Amino acid sequence: MTAQEVRLCGLLLREHFGEVVEKVGTHLLKGGAQNLRTIIHETGISLDLVKKSLCVLVQHGACVFRSGRKGAGSPTEYQTCCDRILRILRYPRYIYTAKTLYGDTGELIIEELLQRGHMTMSGTIKTVADRLTQNMEEGRSMDYSEVSSAFFRLVETHFLQRCPPLAGAEPKDSATPAAPSFPDCYKVPHVTLVGRGKRQLAITLLFAALLKFQLPLNCPTHGDEGICWQVNFERFHLHFRDQAIISAVANKLDQTSSEIVRTMLRMSEVTTSPTATCTKPLSANEIFRSLPTSYNIPRPILDQYLTLLIDDPMEFVGKAGESGGGMYVVNMHRALANLARATLESVVQERFGSRSARIFRLLLRKRHLEQKQVEDFAMIPAKEAKDMLYTLLSQNLVQLQEIPKTPDYAPSRTFYLYTVNQLPTARMLLQNCYKTVANLVERRLFESKESKRLLEKSQRIEAILASLQASGAEPEQLTEVEEMITAPEKQQLEALRLHINKLDSAENQVDETIFLLESYINSTASTS
Amino acid sequence: MAGRGGGRGRRMMTFSVEAVGITRGDSLPPSIQQPTPLFPVMEQKPLPLTAGEEEEYLLALKQEFRGAMKSLPCFIQPTAAHRDVERYSDKYHSSEQTEALTDWTPDWKRLPKELRVKKPPRGGVSAAVSRSDKLQSGQKKKKVKEKEEVLLKLETLQKKEEGQSSEDEEEEGEEKKKKQEEEEAEGEEEYDEEEFEEETDYVMSYFDNGEEFGGDSDDNMDEAIY
Repeated sequence: MTAQEVRLCGLLLREHFGEVVEKVGTHLLKGGAQNLRTIIHETGISLDLVKKSLCVLVQHGACVFRSGRKGAGSPTEYQTCCDRILRILRYPRYIYTAKTLYGDTGELIIEELLQRGHMTMSGTIKTVADRLTQNMEEGRSMDYSEVSSAFFRLVETHFLQRCPPLAGAEPKDSATPAAPSFPDCYKVPHVTLVGRGKRQLAITLLFAALLKFQLPLNCPTHGDEGICWQVNFERFHLHFRDQAIISAVANKLDQTSSEIVRTMLRMSEVTTSPTATCTKPLSANEIFRSLPTSYNIPRPILDQYLTLLIDDPMEFVGKAGESGGGMYVVNMHRALANLARATLESVVQERFGSRSARIFRLLLRKRHLEQKQVEDFAMIPAKEAKDMLYTLLSQNLVQLQEIPKTPDYAPSRTFYLYTVNQLPTARMLLQNCYKTVANLVERRLFESKESKRLLEKSQRIEAILASLQASGAEPEQLTEVEEMITAPEKQQLEALRLHINKLDSAENQVDETIFLLESYINSTASTS
Repeated sequence: MAGRGGGRGRRMMTFSVEAVGITRGDSLPPSIQQPTPLFPVMEQKPLPLTAGEEEEYLLALKQEFRGAMKSLPCFIQPTAAHRDVERYSDKYHSSEQTEALTDWTPDWKRLPKELRVKKPPRGGVSAAVSRSDKLQSGQKKKKVKEKEEVLLKLETLQKKEEGQSSEDEEEEGEEKKKKQEEEEAEGEEEYDEEEFEEETDYVMSYFDNGEEFGGDSDDNMDEAIY
């Protein structure tokens, strides 16, 4: 956990769960595994609040607990990992993907599960049906079976998985959370759930008081108590990775080649493990048969496209043999490495200019170069090349490698070579991205805090307007209420809204870069 | 050793000056005496954000998600600091927050035992608060008693309220109450407060306890200000 990661996790926890959970969470992140007493003592928060915060963190999968390390009788220890908390940045993307793949029902299922951490299947279906019914016209409601079928499809394609069973009190558990792939991971329990979604009725005051008095607890059992479901982030990440590869091929070559790659990836969805270097070899005949019917390209053209894809320097597709008309694979790890490299190059280009980017690309390709060689190969005058190299060196994007000719490292008898190491540079840029997002969040909180009074006033006025409209007031009353906000205040509000939208949108887009770099770094970790 | 003697009086660096390319005549950039500025000038302006339907939808999703999380019971507010004097508006403000907290029941089987939060007993009635437990007979007795008290209260209230329509509601309400299995011990107290709260005609959030008010109504004062 680097300082930047901890800072960003703290801000995310504050925005989504409140300041108490933020304090407890950052304390756990910085301090490793701790038991309840230590947390209370060191954070100074009351026992009840700490307990609630830990419940919230465990519910959302951010914290795991296990029995203490010192033996059977020691208190349970809690440990937080920042990866899970950093996923919060990507929630909108998960929800949007579910919408594109499974429609509004899928979108709401994923959104509910992300909001609650983990839920039983029956609970999710009921809540989603109610929400869908709210948005439908009067008199229509959503049937539970439709929502159930969407849920089944999500589980079939592994976007949802069961929560892992509790590790119990085994002291030999490792510090990492239980692996998600246990035998019943994707088995849907038999659930008796018949009914339709309920619309929230307009109720009088007395009735509302009565309803509040009774707690909504007597849910009939549906046969799946204790089986909780959670969103399977890894599966979404695989989907994003595939999408990144397909869009990169589409940008570099053309639409048809991207369709071919998409077909290959779809065919090998189930046969490829998540950490595989490349997909299983597919013969050209199979690819030809599985192409979507709208793309009826003749067989020789398909072969030509495949040859083009193989020869492309990005190395997305490779040839693995000659049988069956040619065996082809999609190189996942190499594709990720190339995408990460393109990201690094574009970062250098946007920060330092295209000539510095040229030097950077040169060093990436040629590995080690001397000062003189850099100037010659990049075709940049010596003085400017020197300047640019020093700027890159000071930003740590380029490193200096010393090769001594004599054992005493005398400066006059040593080669000094400039070099770029892709993996450490990617790690450094990833930390920069975390810092960027943390800065964006802080700035957004600062802007909101500055205009807090104005925001509260506008919210109050909107509430009044809504209640007036609901009770059917005349237009004069409405305009009178609207005029309570003066014109300069309206302008200020508009500017504030624009700023906050920009900052939020920037966070989303930096997260795309974070995803690419993280995938690349994880892929190298698994191969090494 | 020899190098050190020769280097006295001249600038020396740890790496070979010629190899890296600094010739004698070049002027090095001036050494920096203070921390770099907080917002350094950027030579290259950053690219604008991509804007499209997808990005706008993602933005809307993100903001809605944040808003929704704030209203969920997972969002834990620290107990507000007590102000110096008890204010009249506290009665209205504080009940809004605590409702959400009490609604959430995590699945206690998935959490360690020590994390169970027990509510402090109120009004001398001690009740176990673990809601997923099965009912014990003692609780049932208390429940029946409280149901009767509530029914009584309802009837007295109804005499003050309108006639026919509320009676129908009361019947429905009675049926509903018979179906329920559990309730909180302090539900009665909360009920009073909430029912009383619902009776007011004012929008809760609109209530201003008058602290920020003042000093701007000097126009029509006939009397002098002392």
